[in-house]
Amino acid sequence: MIVRVAAVAAVALVFAAPAAACAHPRTSLAYLQGQVMCPTCHTTLDMSDSQAARQIDVFISKKIAACWTAKQIESALVANYGRGILAAPSHKGFDLLAWWLPIVAVLGGALVLAFGVWRWSRRRDPEEPEEPAGSGLDEETERRLDEVLARFE
Amino acid sequence: MSGRVKAIAQVLALGCVAGLLALLVWQLQNQSHAPHVGAVAPAFTLQRLDGPGKVSLASYRGKPIVLNFWASWCEPCKSEATVLERDWTSYRNRGVVFLGVDFHDLASDARRFVGAHALTFPMLEDGSGNVTTGSYGVAQVPETYVINRQGRIVAHLAGPITDPGFAREFRTAIAKAVA
Repeated sequence: MIVRVAAVAAVALVFAAPAAACAHPRTSLAYLQGQVMCPTCHTTLDMSDSQAARQIDVFISKKIAACWTAKQIESALVANYGRGILAAPSHKGFDLLAWWLPIVAVLGGALVLAFGVWRWSRRRDPEEPEEPAGSGLDEETERRLDEVLARFE
Repeated sequence: MSGRVKAIAQVLALGCVAGLLALLVWQLQNQSHAPHVGAVAPAFTLQRLDGPGKVSLASYRGKPIVLNFWASWCEPCKSEATVLERDWTSYRNRGVVFLGVDFHDLASDARRFVGAHALTFPMLEDGSGNVTTGSYGVAQVPETYVINRQGRIVAHLAGPITDPGFAREFRTAIAKAVA
């Protein structure tokens, strides 16, 4: 790791003078390390300590020093390694699924959850006591019951 | 939950499971494996590293081929390169073709590597690694395949041919491929 940092720092120092003359804000190695994959270990450069990752670090440092933008550096890497070198999928074609699917999944999940909560809360609502349509007793029993109750009044 | 909603939820759940299973099967089917010894070497066409144009493996059919996968960032490839160049110069008169395939590498660094080691056999570039890791299942460089005149793999050496064990196997394989 120390060797890697030293090598990148050395390259950055060598190219420091021309870098000062950039017409636009420079991108950083740290930023691109999060955007570019190590081709042999399938992690981003900042997570890798492999020789291949170190080689790309040096390439990026040289290009940053030469005032290349992040887009230009990424394009150069794609031209060399193919689209798979970028950590983020593109915004077109089949790759769009990778951007939209998580959003659709989260929204779908939220809808299902909301529906479930709604159903649950409805089930727990106290039911209005219904007015008894009738006592269910025949007329004779009802008359006798009224008489018994009248005695207690 | 009403019967209709329940049925829809069940269909959706089943659909999700079926989709995941299909994905798993697809993944297993498309997993890259190194071709077996005796199998026909997977065909490919790659850009030349040392000049313009493309080269296909099929164009060398009828000749024994040593197919070496390497990268400029690979340490063992450096010592192996010298041995490969020496072997190339000694075997080329017997009709053996040496092909180098540089993969997952910066073309500029790869060309520097070729120059530094004075390599003269044809060099191809596979920046994306589609052929190297996809068709040939190369896990780490250097790796070498020896292919006979019929286009079949005679040996697969998953390590540097500077290693004494691999060196012996390499020579035996070339002798077999030439025969």
